[in-house]
Amino acid sequence: MSEAPFRYSPGDVVRVRTGPPEPHCRTPFYLRGQIGVIAGIAGRYRDPSLMAFHKPGLPERALYRVEFRHHDIWQTEAGPDRIMADLYEHWLDPATRETPDAP
Amino acid sequence: MPHDHDHDDHAPIEDAGAGEDELLEIAIRELLIEKGVLTAAQVNGQIDAMDSRTPALGAQVIARAWCDADFRAGLIAAPLQTIQATFGMNMSTPLELVILENTPQVHNVVVCTLCSCYPRMLLGIPPAWYKATAYRSRVVVEPRAVLDEFGLTLPPEVEVRVSDSTADLRYLVVPMRPGGTEGWPEDRLAALVSRDSMIGTAVPSVP
Amino acid sequence: MQTNERGVNDVGGLPGGPVNREEHPETLFEKRVDALVMLLTHPQIGAFKVDALRRAVEMNSPGDYTTLGYYPKWIRAIRRLLVEQSVLSDAEIDARIGKLRERLAKDV
Repeated sequence: MSEAPFRYSPGDVVRVRTGPPEPHCRTPFYLRGQIGVIAGIAGRYRDPSLMAFHKPGLPERALYRVEFRHHDIWQTEAGPDRIMADLYEHWLDPATRETPDAP
Repeated sequence: MPHDHDHDDHAPIEDAGAGEDELLEIAIRELLIEKGVLTAAQVNGQIDAMDSRTPALGAQVIARAWCDADFRAGLIAAPLQTIQATFGMNMSTPLELVILENTPQVHNVVVCTLCSCYPRMLLGIPPAWYKATAYRSRVVVEPRAVLDEFGLTLPPEVEVRVSDSTADLRYLVVPMRPGGTEGWPEDRLAALVSRDSMIGTAVPSVP
Repeated sequence: MQTNERGVNDVGGLPGGPVNREEHPETLFEKRVDALVMLLTHPQIGAFKVDALRRAVEMNSPGDYTTLGYYPKWIRAIRRLLVEQSVLSDAEIDARIGKLRERLAKDV
């Protein structure tokens, strides 16, 4: 089985989809709809929402480390704090970020 | 501590106050053993294996990283292989370990908001607070307030970076080496490294 | 219409109280539950995947998810999965619990 290329690269701006969540969804609610940046490619892993129901979880899904600005998520004053999460490719769409990164 | 779990399948129930869940565990374990799904030896062996994974192992890794730049580089590049090769520990796991280095600019904190994912292959079983909802719900919203509860206050210009272990990656924080420890042997350095400093809710300090 | 649901376990961002930092060494019950989780999800035995166990924990009501202890949630999830996978039946588990209670009554 040939592997699809990774859709995203480090530095890409992405938006997390809002849903609908599959059973045993591993995309946390607080990140849905949020804009972040690909920090790294974690690799390919079997789909946990399929393995949760005793299926093999194939084909493997691309997984990324995604970085979010804390103040974007919680609508607070700009600051240096960040949140990272490991998210699957099928939960991410390309996006643009209007405001520049905080210094 | 004696091996009090080395008894046969039908020994008396050791806790006369055994509740529903204790009885359920015994029932399931006995039935699984009777049906040949697993053996009592496997259960005891697994308990022993987890007993042998403790924060002391993580502290050894941190102390070595502080002292040996080549080891640190290997640890960052290939964490499990480097730990296995250097310390002879069996690190076979389908999971990935990722090293998060604290710097003067970035302080890392680890959480699993969805359940309790933790670098068990190195540190053993996570503390109750890590698995409970208060930490999991709050540390992504107000990490600095949570760290304050742990007695850790960080300057406003330092980035607090919270890593939510949502998939198969497990995270180990390498805290910064405290000043005043130049020339210390590794075991003395390792004694400074608490479990919480490898989660990110503490930093090592010289007592 | 997309709905934006969250599982009972999906607690990131929900209000929470102070972190209770009390700790105790794991009890034998807790170690045994942990051992069952690790053994049953290990490829060697492979009764089910750990993802299935997590899914079973997520089937708790919000009330149960908050009030049940961590290890009670896991042993109940193990029960559900073993029955789901026809490794054990609810009837035989309940029967064994009954026998254990009898044994307990005699031993006291």
